[in-house]
Amino acid sequence: MSADQEFEKLVKLYYQDLYRFGFSLTRSEADACDLTQQTFYIWANKGHQLKDLGKVKGWLFTTLHREFLQMSRRQERFTDEPISEVAENLPHASADVVNRIDAQTMLGVLGQIDEDYRAPLVLYYSQDLSYKEIADVLEIPLGTVQSRIARAKIHLFQLLTQTNHRSHQST
Amino acid sequence: MNTSEAKERLLLYRGPIDDADPQFEEALEHARRDPDLAEWMREQSRSYGTIRSKLREIEPPRDLAEKIIRERPIPFRRGWTQIIRKRPTSFRPSWTQMLQLAAAIVILAGITAVWLNFSQRGRHQLVQGQEIVVKRPPVQGQEIVVKGEVLDMTCYIAHNLSGPQHAECAKNCIRKGLPVGIKGEDGKTYLLVGKTQPVNAELADYAAKTVTIRGKETMRDGFAQLQVEEIRKF
Repeated sequence: MSADQEFEKLVKLYYQDLYRFGFSLTRSEADACDLTQQTFYIWANKGHQLKDLGKVKGWLFTTLHREFLQMSRRQERFTDEPISEVAENLPHASADVVNRIDAQTMLGVLGQIDEDYRAPLVLYYSQDLSYKEIADVLEIPLGTVQSRIARAKIHLFQLLTQTNHRSHQST
Repeated sequence: MNTSEAKERLLLYRGPIDDADPQFEEALEHARRDPDLAEWMREQSRSYGTIRSKLREIEPPRDLAEKIIRERPIPFRRGWTQIIRKRPTSFRPSWTQMLQLAAAIVILAGITAVWLNFSQRGRHQLVQGQEIVVKRPPVQGQEIVVKGEVLDMTCYIAHNLSGPQHAECAKNCIRKGLPVGIKGEDGKTYLLVGKTQPVNAELADYAAKTVTIRGKETMRDGFAQLQVEEIRKF
């Protein structure tokens, strides 16, 4: 297979997942497209440096996330927070509640979650990555990933419950 | 491990994806013995599946893959790369591009005005000893009413962007003073101008919305302008 064909194959395999990740982070179609394209652009230039081709997916997601951070010029803060103090307050968001919410509303709700927490949460929900892989993608410690996902999940459930109540009251 | 501790652990459990992860082993074992916990875990798992499918409903633009492939750098044989295009072209209209376009519109308008001035002077000159005045079409046109979408002309002309998806950008562009226009229901587009000063501040909040504007239509070299008298939100 030629280099062109390999590149095309890779694009077709991952561009949708990368776009979804980018869109969840930025909530902007144009920004998500730019991030996805920039990620493959960097791959075309530097991808040959990756020795383990089994890690292509993680490499692409890491690159997109780096580009996003660069774009938003945010400083990362690494803090481990105990999950236990928040787990007990987990609100109930049943699948039925979630089902009543459309994808756009879901994105709007995700947008209310702080960026530091949103990225691991989106990877947790939308990609089949292990926690170690998510930590590698976001370049933060494993414990931080898990605590952020737990907190973000609780926050998401709270927001979904509120959104559902509001839409229920308005009908 | 008690139920509360198991719950803490299983909060992150997604189902088969995490089955091989040893951190869940003990909690899963506990859930097998505790029907309430098992039911809670099933509900969590269903919520996970539903949220996951919602997120996966997001579809990228149809031409994204083609654009990425088309604009990729071409690799040399030794693994180095040769950039045939400097950078991928952005999907997002950049401020630099928009300002360049706005500046171009202003410069063109200026050149046109100067040219018209000279042109009119020339036509006042004597031809065979007699002054001939060539009348131009009237600058002030008749009052018309146009109903249509308020456009940020820079993005509209440069990137063909309009409509609700572009509303936020249009609002910002108009607010920052870039040219504003209206696309009538008949498809005709007018550049919106004020009597003495720009109307951007009044129109920014109506970006991408349908409004009715009463004003005076003027034409300059085929370019339609509407001098705004009244704006009504439709």
